[in-house]
Amino acid sequence: MCSANDIWHADATAPIQRITDDPNSPQLLRRLTLETFSWQMRNETSIQKALRSPRTAPRWMAALLALGATVTVEGEATEMAVAHLLERRTQGEVVALHIPTSGMVWGEACVRRTPADDPIVAVVATVALENGVVRQARLALTGVWAEPVRLASAGALLAGRLLDEATIHTIARAVENEVTPQGDFLGSAEYRRAMAAVLTRRALAQCMHFATGE
Amino acid sequence: MDEQERVTVVLNINGQTRVCTVARSERLLDTLRQASCFSVKFGCGSGDCGVCTVLLDGQPVRSCQVRTADVAGHTITTVEALATQDALHPLQRAFIETGAIQCGYCTPAQLLVAKALLDRNPDPTEEEIRQAISGVLCRCTGYVKIVQAIQRAAALLRGEKVGPFGPVTETWLPGHAPAELLGRYYRIAENGSPLPPLVISPPDMQPLRVVGTPQAKVDGVKLATGRPVFADDFNMEGMLYGALLTSPYAHARIKRIDPTKARALPGVHAVLTCQDLPRVKYTSGGQSYPQPLPYDQVSLDNKVRHVGDRVAVVAAETPELAQQALRLIEVEYEVLPHVLDPLEAMKDGAPIIHDEPDTEGIYDAAHNIVHHIEAEGGIPAAEAWAMADHVFEGEYRTSQQQHAHLEPHVCITYWDEDGRLVVRTSTQVPFHVRRILAPLIGLPVKRIRVIKPRIGGGFGNKQEMIIEDLCAHLTIATGRPVRMMYTRYQEFVSSRSRHPQIMRYKIGVTNDMRVVATELRLIGDTGAYGTHGLTVQMVGGQKGLTLYNAPHCKFICDVVYTNKPTPGAFRGYGSTQCHFGIETLMSEIADRMGWDVIEFKRKNWIKPGEEMVMSKALGEGREGFEQVVRSSGLEQCVQVGVEAMRWYEKRGNAEWRRGPGGAKRRGIGMSVMLHGSGIAGLDLGAATIKMNDDGSFNLLVGATDLGTGSDTILAQIAAEVLGVPVEDIIVYSSDTDFTPFDKGAYASSTTYISGGAVYKAALQVAEQIKAHAALMLGLESGEGMLLRDRQVIAPNGTRLTLEQVALSSLHQHHQHQIIASASHMSYECPPPFGAQFVELVVDTETGQVTVERVLMVADAGRVINPITASGQVEGGIQQALGFAHCEEMVYDELGRLLNPRLGPYHVYRANEMPDIQVIFVQTEEPTGPFGAKSIAELPLDGIAPAVADAIHDATGVWIRELPFTPERVWRALHPELAV
Ligand code: FES
Ligand code: FES
Repeated sequence: MCSANDIWHADATAPIQRITDDPNSPQLLRRLTLETFSWQMRNETSIQKALRSPRTAPRWMAALLALGATVTVEGEATEMAVAHLLERRTQGEVVALHIPTSGMVWGEACVRRTPADDPIVAVVATVALENGVVRQARLALTGVWAEPVRLASAGALLAGRLLDEATIHTIARAVENEVTPQGDFLGSAEYRRAMAAVLTRRALAQCMHFATGE
Repeated sequence: MDEQERVTVVLNINGQTRVCTVARSERLLDTLRQASCFSVKFGCGSGDCGVCTVLLDGQPVRSCQVRTADVAGHTITTVEALATQDALHPLQRAFIETGAIQCGYCTPAQLLVAKALLDRNPDPTEEEIRQAISGVLCRCTGYVKIVQAIQRAAALLRGEKVGPFGPVTETWLPGHAPAELLGRYYRIAENGSPLPPLVISPPDMQPLRVVGTPQAKVDGVKLATGRPVFADDFNMEGMLYGALLTSPYAHARIKRIDPTKARALPGVHAVLTCQDLPRVKYTSGGQSYPQPLPYDQVSLDNKVRHVGDRVAVVAAETPELAQQALRLIEVEYEVLPHVLDPLEAMKDGAPIIHDEPDTEGIYDAAHNIVHHIEAEGGIPAAEAWAMADHVFEGEYRTSQQQHAHLEPHVCITYWDEDGRLVVRTSTQVPFHVRRILAPLIGLPVKRIRVIKPRIGGGFGNKQEMIIEDLCAHLTIATGRPVRMMYTRYQEFVSSRSRHPQIMRYKIGVTNDMRVVATELRLIGDTGAYGTHGLTVQMVGGQKGLTLYNAPHCKFICDVVYTNKPTPGAFRGYGSTQCHFGIETLMSEIADRMGWDVIEFKRKNWIKPGEEMVMSKALGEGREGFEQVVRSSGLEQCVQVGVEAMRWYEKRGNAEWRRGPGGAKRRGIGMSVMLHGSGIAGLDLGAATIKMNDDGSFNLLVGATDLGTGSDTILAQIAAEVLGVPVEDIIVYSSDTDFTPFDKGAYASSTTYISGGAVYKAALQVAEQIKAHAALMLGLESGEGMLLRDRQVIAPNGTRLTLEQVALSSLHQHHQHQIIASASHMSYECPPPFGAQFVELVVDTETGQVTVERVLMVADAGRVINPITASGQVEGGIQQALGFAHCEEMVYDELGRLLNPRLGPYHVYRANEMPDIQVIFVQTEEPTGPFGAKSIAELPLDGIAPAVADAIHDATGVWIRELPFTPERVWRALHPELAV
């Protein structure tokens, strides 16, 4: 594990526990790693294995998507976005994980039956701001499609806007309209869609508060 | 890669180099157990429970998720290596001293995780401890004492001095307010969390020497050191592995079943189907003779009635072969229409689930109604309802909860050298199993011996004969020892669960807050088979109506078959469900009438001296007995709880409610409850006490300690009477050949019924000791002698040690064995009482409910052991919280369970438990041993209604269906949304 040029790098063959042991790992990732994986799982599971099983830890995967994580894959010429792993664009072995660490604020929110349950719906957002205006934003959700997904459209909609209550409201509405969840015993499609909006609003509000230091 | 390819790996297991040849796919769990590391437990095999945890190079991993071949060359540590030859590890000591061990099935894993934690962080915070152990489920303790044990061990390892672990004790003097009592308790709280229990005594209660003291569990050391004490920790030469084929359909007839290919598989020794076994009707519920009808089961049937129902069994040389054989059994099903909803099941034209002609005792098979019960008590209905100024009604629904004990059902059967069948099984009811099993396998009772080793939790699910008959059939078919263990999936669909109920309560009240009439119409869903269907609903009705004991009570109930996996006995036994209904409706009435909820309940709850209106009409599966409440500390429980929670500062306080900010609202709620202590006029326990040469005693009991600590309680009762420390009582429990009869561990009866038997037997032994001492001392009689400090003390002050008495009686004078047996039953079933209080936060935008604090104040009579008793409360609260707001078996339209794993089903983990506090208000129950009543089931009864009350306090909304999942709460908060 090392940090260079505002990028945090991890050997993907290492166990996930290394993420929590490394004080330089991105704070959001460290926190969600702790919340998502038991200590035993962190010791048993390599980062590469976790990256290849997104349904095991969707919220953790959403964090990687929101953080703009990339991976180095054996046999591939260039680094690729984690989203490409989800799309099964490569079968090669993931050997390294890279996460940009600077210039972003983040927020995350989820709903679950109990505080340590797997989330029914979760939203992770990262935003890079310049003078209060969104330069870049990434929004990732779980529980609204079969696998965690980054909503590129919401990120695009945010770019260039002031991060304020009105923008957040607009984005939350847009997310609610875009998601097409399947219901299950934890939550109906209607509930999941409604939660996507609520939690998007909360995640972005956290970003806003983070940015304004409130 | 060939997964079955055998590879040789070298492992360092507990400091020893071991060379193992294993299949490439073999799990480390299996390798370790084959290497006799029996402390490593199987709980699920899917990574959800963590009880298989071991240390791999010092770090915790789940051995069911690690392949042995992948860890070649590494170092593995199991609990077997934790203690040195001379001393337990401080963690093991602390686990024993604090009562962190109940059934002990999760203990090895908890110990190892704790060790790894303290190795890297000698001074962890409570949060860090909870986070570390969050990967290991415990279904018994609520994690409170596990956290306390780790804190204590950490202090010991840091070289700090720790005092004895025990409760805070207070005496409630006349004229003193609860605030004074609580002052000292909360001063202790400032020094740390979690809090120890508080025990409050009335001023006239005399302290005893052993009873009432925090004794370590008598089985603590063997559980802490991971010794092979559970049913599966046992290897026999030539043992075969049994496996069960279950139904994929909710309702189907087996048109053709062909085991030919399975039988032909080398290594398979038996395949049994309905064609191979005699059709002997029985009911699997472990209850006293005669079990209530209908006998609607056979070991293997030609019809399946739920997904997970029995189809066939095999015995093979390895578990893998057994599974392979199951896949080779050809079954052709005629799929029948099925019904999952009890209301639909009762309609004309619904699929008939029990259409077989040989089941007797179904009330209305055409409408799937197994039992119809009507009972009433008190003054005439018309008179009572005429007194009511207001009538309130409410319908309440509860869900199907699974026990989720971590040790699955497991059984080993074999022929002994005398040609008798030995059944080593994880059961709560060894004597009932023997009796129920005999006709099914065609052996007389005298040719069957049932041994109950330690049990890894049961909570009622092992008050049933679930697999013993199948395992026995396989031993009879093969002549070989056979071991059968349920998978976790089978625990969900092929064992038992809590009955879902639909309750319609109607309560009549007067303008001056008096409840004058109560009616309960109940529909109990008993799934595919009757088993405990009758008795659970009767007990539920009896408890639900007795709490407020209206002048007139009426109970109307239908117990209904559906094509769901069968519910059975589950801690709380109907009372938990019925308390949710009655307590929520009482709180709703107070709300609607603008009454103080506590005043309203206080005015109406049953008081000492009152006759229980329904106790005669509603027994357990039969008529009961008239009973009067002889002891109750409910008033004191509520007073203490109100003060401890600062109830009146918070309840309805808008500012406090807004506390968390944003869309979150805080709420506080409460409930009161009662339960029972055994089954009046039915339960029987027996005990034998025998004196040894050194003045120690063997205590033989049929009572079944399923992790509750009942062996310890019974030892304390004997020790108190015999004037010895608990260590001088050697307890041996539950072996049908060697211990006297006991009906088993259920109905909160062990302390009261079995304890009564131990008390009587101990008194008889004490008399024999005194008589022999008198002989030795040349006195006329033993009258006035005392047994104390391992001595018998004559009124003139002369003393003999018990060892002297024992040696004399066994070897020298008037030789005889000092020994006594006694049995005990009771026509009373004294209710323990309690009050539960909950603080929670409702997220009004998502519907998520987060319980932050739970307080239980309980009257269990005299508390025999405050550590084990508070452990019962803490663990019960964990299960009750699950019942209230997350645990629920959910089905698709074909009757397939959607969440048959511990992960998605979700059992509370250590890092999400609310703050739990336990306070006992002691009373003296005149009919109980040393004044004791029960405690085990009471904590289950009030959490759900207290949570409902608190959600209402937070949001103004009443929710009448469990569990309070986020969507259910969200919908209640948004009534404009269509369901
Ligand atoms: S048995 Fe390994 S996690 Fe449950
Ligand atoms: S003591 Fe933890 S599961 Fe029983």
